[in-house]
Amino acid sequence: MEALTQLGITLMVLTVTYLVGSAIERRHFDSLRKREARLRAFPTVTFERLPEGWQVADSGLAMGSTVVSLDYFKRFLAGLRGILGGRVRSYEPLLDRARREALLRMTEGAVADGYDAIVNVRLETSRLASSRGRGKGTAGVEMLAFGTAVKLVRQP
Amino acid sequence: MRFEPRAPREGINVSATHPLREAALLVAGVSAIFAALILVVGWSVEWAVRWIPPELEARTFGDWAHHLSSPEHEAERLAVEALARRLAMHWPGAPYEFQVTVSDEPEVNAMALPGGTILVTKGLLRESQSENELAFVVGHELGHFRNRDQLRRLGRGILYELTASALFGFNATAPEVTGFLGQMADRGFDREQERAADRFGLELVQAEYGHVAGAGRFFERLVSRTSGLGDLAAYVSTHPASSDRLEDLRDYAAERGWRREGVLQPWTRSD
Ligand SMILES: [Zn+2]
Repeated sequence: MEALTQLGITLMVLTVTYLVGSAIERRHFDSLRKREARLRAFPTVTFERLPEGWQVADSGLAMGSTVVSLDYFKRFLAGLRGILGGRVRSYEPLLDRARREALLRMTEGAVADGYDAIVNVRLETSRLASSRGRGKGTAGVEMLAFGTAVKLVRQP
Repeated sequence: MRFEPRAPREGINVSATHPLREAALLVAGVSAIFAALILVVGWSVEWAVRWIPPELEARTFGDWAHHLSSPEHEAERLAVEALARRLAMHWPGAPYEFQVTVSDEPEVNAMALPGGTILVTKGLLRESQSENELAFVVGHELGHFRNRDQLRRLGRGILYELTASALFGFNATAPEVTGFLGQMADRGFDREQERAADRFGLELVQAEYGHVAGAGRFFERLVSRTSGLGDLAAYVSTHPASSDRLEDLRDYAAERGWRREGVLQPWTRSD
């Protein structure tokens, strides 16, 4: 009886987190696509050096970051994956969203500050330790995108 | 250098598999592993139980449960132990030297522990209204000893714990999984084991008193009180389906022609 109640509650939480999680995910992907389309013409490149012919008038650090965490449904799937092995598919869209969001935030910031491009773009990930489970658990993951934003000398 | 703006490509970093499909596949896979685990553990325990003689079990677990009993229940403990040994006289060649331990818990419960120790709770002694009633509960536990259910439970518990922690010890889901397995192992005995123990207990009661009056009384009260379970909840959770078992006991007694009426021996109830 007790086990059944527990199972029922678990199933309910799974259903709710799945429905809410996938609705949020869908909206986020829509928003990402729209903003990416808007910023498409803005060059963000991974070159370490400036391309030849660019004349830089001003430069600065451009940075954007996101912190993401798992919902119960994704964590449940990943837990089962940990037993069976294989691609942890439930994490993939989450990390994809995090990367694209961080890049967008970096770019949006640079655009707002009047820069023309960002070079030497890098992505970094770090795990946030959780106070639960003696630091073994994960509170979330930070995705950081950064690069050198440049203002170019306009050719008259 | 030319810079040509392109939209980022999608579908490379994210698998196309629908999350629900993924969930179904994973649940099926893990369930298969669990099913295999339960089968293997079940077989190994059956095999081990066959190869461990009761004498070895009794020597190994000897009197470990002795310390569980609190000294203020010593008089009652001795009384129940005497009752258990009187009942065991009707089981010729019983390989255990039966001992009784009284635990302080207010819940009604009794348990067969490896090595020949019967644990009865204070709640059970308080609830018993006649010696015959208590004799049946004790006889039921003796039935578990005869079928060596107590050793099975112990073996299963240990093996589940070991396999689960070896398999999933490192995993994030581990506490939930091991907890669940532990619960399954802790559910006690299955219906067949309970029925066999019931019948053996009834045989002992019949042999001791010449009738089986009072034997089912305990169940009757359990069944009639299932609405307001209270402290009977513990006994029901480790000894399921009381109403079915009551019916089976009646049939068994009728089949054997045992009398269901008779003089009940008093049991000095404690408070
Ligand atoms: Zn039982």
